[in-house]
Amino acid sequence: MLAISAETFRQLTVDGFFRGCSYGLLGVGFALILGVTARFHFAYGFTYTLAAYLAFTFTFRANWPFWPSVLLGVLLSAVVGALIEAKVYRPLAANAGATALLAVFVAALGIGIAGDNLIRLFWGSETQAYYGPTKKSYEIWGTVFLNFDVWQAASAIAITLALAAMLRYTALGRRIKATRINPDLARTIGIDAERTYVICFFLGTICVGVAAIWYALKYTIDPAMGTLPVIYAFVVAFLAGTARSPIRVFATGIAVALIEQYASIWLSVQYTQTAVFVVLVGYLTYLAIRSSAFIARFKVAGP
Amino acid sequence: MSLWINYLDQILLYAALALSLNLLLGYAGQVSVAHAAFGAIGGYTMGYTTQAHGWNFLLGTLLGMVLAFVIGTLVALPALKLSVEYLILLTLAVSSVILGLLIAIPEMGGTYGLINLPAANLFGWHLQQPEDWLLPALVSMVIVYLVCHRVGESPIGRVLKGIREDPIATQALGKNVLGYKVAVFGLTSSLAAFAGAMLAGWLRLSTPGVFGFAFSLTIFAVVIFGGMGNLAGSVLGAAIVVLLEPVLRRVVRMEAARASLVQLVVYGLALAILMRIRPQGALPEGFSLWRWMRGHRTPQARVEMAADWVPSTVQRVAEHVDDELPVAEEERRERAWHDAAVVLRTSGVGKRFGGIVAAKELDIELRRGTITALVGPNGAGKTTVFNLLTGAIAPDSGSIILNGQELIGLNPAQVARKGMVRSFQDVRLFNRLSCAQNVMLAVQEQPGENFATLVVANRRVARAEVETRAKALDWLGFVGMAEFAEIPAGALSYGQTKLISLARVLATEADVLLLDEPASGIDTKWVDTMLDLIEAVRDQGRTVCVVEHNLHVVGRLADHTYFMELGEIAAEGTIAELANTPRLAEVYFGTG
Repeated sequence: MLAISAETFRQLTVDGFFRGCSYGLLGVGFALILGVTARFHFAYGFTYTLAAYLAFTFTFRANWPFWPSVLLGVLLSAVVGALIEAKVYRPLAANAGATALLAVFVAALGIGIAGDNLIRLFWGSETQAYYGPTKKSYEIWGTVFLNFDVWQAASAIAITLALAAMLRYTALGRRIKATRINPDLARTIGIDAERTYVICFFLGTICVGVAAIWYALKYTIDPAMGTLPVIYAFVVAFLAGTARSPIRVFATGIAVALIEQYASIWLSVQYTQTAVFVVLVGYLTYLAIRSSAFIARFKVAGP
Repeated sequence: MSLWINYLDQILLYAALALSLNLLLGYAGQVSVAHAAFGAIGGYTMGYTTQAHGWNFLLGTLLGMVLAFVIGTLVALPALKLSVEYLILLTLAVSSVILGLLIAIPEMGGTYGLINLPAANLFGWHLQQPEDWLLPALVSMVIVYLVCHRVGESPIGRVLKGIREDPIATQALGKNVLGYKVAVFGLTSSLAAFAGAMLAGWLRLSTPGVFGFAFSLTIFAVVIFGGMGNLAGSVLGAAIVVLLEPVLRRVVRMEAARASLVQLVVYGLALAILMRIRPQGALPEGFSLWRWMRGHRTPQARVEMAADWVPSTVQRVAEHVDDELPVAEEERRERAWHDAAVVLRTSGVGKRFGGIVAAKELDIELRRGTITALVGPNGAGKTTVFNLLTGAIAPDSGSIILNGQELIGLNPAQVARKGMVRSFQDVRLFNRLSCAQNVMLAVQEQPGENFATLVVANRRVARAEVETRAKALDWLGFVGMAEFAEIPAGALSYGQTKLISLARVLATEADVLLLDEPASGIDTKWVDTMLDLIEAVRDQGRTVCVVEHNLHVVGRLADHTYFMELGEIAAEGTIAELANTPRLAEVYFGTG
C-alpha cells in the first residue's frame, strides 16, 4: 500500500489547492478569450511574463511602492493584450476568412516568440528575484503555506467570482455572452462585437497578469516563465469547456492541480506533469469518439 | 569554412523535418505542434541503441522510424475527428507526454539527455566532421523530399488536399478519410523520426532541449515561411530561419548572444507580419520555381473573367422553357415511373434527436432512369433524408436497400462506393483546388490513391492519372465549364459552383444521384441550364433524387414527388396531384 501519512496528504491537498488557484485563474482568462473571440491566443504566455517584468521594473528601477507598480504592471500588460487583438488578430482574421484560426495561431506564436526574446534583450536572460512584501509562512493542522498563497487564492477567487457576476448580471456580461454565442447575430442587434473582443482580451490578460505577480513573488522571474502557464491555461480551459462559466473553469483548474499533486504519491516528481497530459490526451480521445455522433448531429444536419 | 558547412548541414536537416511536417500541415491540413517530439523518438532511439547497445546507426534510425510510425498512428486515431483547436491542443499534449517520458526514463539521460553519441557509422564510414555530414544530410533531405513529393503530388495528395478543404465532402465522394488521415500521420511521424535521428547523429547528442517544444514551433515556422503545400518552400524556409543568426552576427556584426535573441525576435515578428501580408508564404502552393523561370505564370486574367461567364448550354435551353406541362405528358411520366425498376427502397427509416423527430417511418423508392423529388417546407427533414440515406446520420430504425444490398451501418464513403452519391445544398467545393482537380477527386478507383500501388506501379499510376484527367475534363465539358478547368473553385460565382458540384457528382459515375437543391439560390439564367443537365443525366439511365423548394422546378423535372412535413412523407404522386392536396397548397401558396 501507499506509504503516505495523513499529514503528507493534507499538505499535498493544500499545495494543490493553492497551485490550482493559479491554474484556475489562467484558465478563466484564457476561456474568456478563446470562448468569446475564437482566437487561439498563444501569446497569452508573453503577457504573463510581461506583467511580471513591468511590475518588477516599476518597483526596482523606478523605486515605486509595491502595490502601485503591481497594479500598473498588470494593467499595462492587459492593454498590450487588448492591442494584440485590435492591431494584429482582428485585421488578420478579417483577411484570412475560413483559415482565420490557423492564421491567428501562427501570428500569436510569432508574437510570443518575439515578445519573450524582446524581454530577454531589454531585461537580460537571467533569473531574478522579486522582493515585494515580506514573505511569511503559516502552519495550520500540520500544513505549511505562505501569505502569498493566501493572497493569491483570495485574489483569484475574487476575480473569478467578479467575472461570473459580471457575465450574469451586467449589460456588458450579456453583450459578451451574446457575442460568444453568435457574433454575427450580436452585430445585427447593435452589439459592437469588435469592442467586445477587445474587452475580453483586456479582462483575460488581467487574469494572467495577476497569476504572474503571485508566481513572481513566490518564486522568481525569468523570460521563459510564461511557457508553462500558457499550456496549463489551454489545458484547464479546454477541459472545462471554453464557453463555461468562470466558476466551473476555476474548479477545473483546482482539479488539474490536485491530479498533479496526488500523482506525485504514485509517481516520481518528473512524471507528475506528464500525468496531467496523459489525462488530457485521454479526455480528447474520449471527445473524439463521442464526436462521431456529435458532428453528425450538429454539423451535417441541415434543414 | 567548416562553420558555413555546419550551417548548410543544419539547413538540410531542418528542411528534412519541415518537409515531413509540410506534407501533414500543408497538404492534409492537420495542424501538429508535436513534430519535434516525433523527431525526438528517432533521435533518442538511434542514440540509445548505438550508444548503449552498439547498434549500427542506420538500424537504430530504422527502429526509431518504426516506433514513431506506431505512435503517430495511435495519435492520429483521436486526432481524426477533432477540430483545429483541439488538434493543436492534442499534439501539444502528446509532445509534452513524449518529452516528459523521455526525461523521466533514467536510461535516456534524464534532463541532460543522451550526450557524446558515437560518430555515425554509414557502412564503415565514420562521420566526424561537418564536411562528412554534408552528403548524408543532403541525401536525407532529398529522400524526404522525394517521398513527400511522390505522395503530395499524386492522387493521394489530391485526396489529402480534399480532406484539408472539406473532409465531409471528401468522404461523400467515397474516400476513406479516416484511413488517409491515419496513414499520413504515421508516415510523416516516421519521416520526422528519420530526420530527427539524422539531426541527433549530426549533433552527436539527443536532449530534451534539442527536441523541445520550441523546436516544434521553429519547424512549424519554417513551413509557414516557405509556404504551406509547397515543398521547395520548406527548403527555402529552413535556409531563411537557419541563416538569420549568422547573417546578423557577421553582416550586422552583432555579438553572438545578442544575435541569437534578435534572430528570434525577427522571426517571431516576421511570422506575425507574414500572416498579414502574405499568408501563403514565400512560395505559395502550386508555385513552381522551375516553371516560373521558364516564364509560365498562373492564369490570373482567366480567374478574373471567371466570375461572369454563362456557359454555352444556356442558349440551347432557352427555347423550351415551359412551366406548365401538358397533363398528358405528366401522366406519361408518372406511368414511366411506375414501370421503372426500383433501385433504392427504404422502409420504416426513423431518426430522433432527443425529443425531436427528424424522420419517421420513411418509405421511399427511387427508380431507374427517373427523377424523384422531395418537396416540403423548411425543416421538413428533406436534407436529413439525404444524411440518412448516405450514412452521414445513422438511423434508429428501418432499412435502406440499394440494388439488393443493405446500407445501414455503412459510412458515407462506403455508401458512395456502393454507387449512391450526394451533392450538398451549400455546395462544398474544394475552394483552393482547381475545377479539374475538384472533379478528378470524384473519379472512383484510382490506382494512385493507394499507397502500395503508388510505390510499385509508377507507370500504371501515371497512365491512370491521364485517364482521370480526361474523364474530369469530359464531365466539365458536359456541364459547359471546360474553360474553367484550371481555375480555383473559390474564384467561381455561385451558379458556376453549382455546375462544378454537379460535374463532381457525375464523375463518380454513381448509379444513384442525390442532388440537394441543385437549382436554388442561383441566377434565373442558370436554372434552365441546370435543369437541362439533370434531365440529360436521367436520360442516360441514372437514378436521380432532388430536394427542391421551387415547385416550378419540381414540376418540370420530377417523374414522381414525395411531399414531406415534420419528418414524415405526407403525400406522394405527380406534382399535379400533390398540388390538389389542401396541405401542400397551404404550405406553398397560403390559404388565401
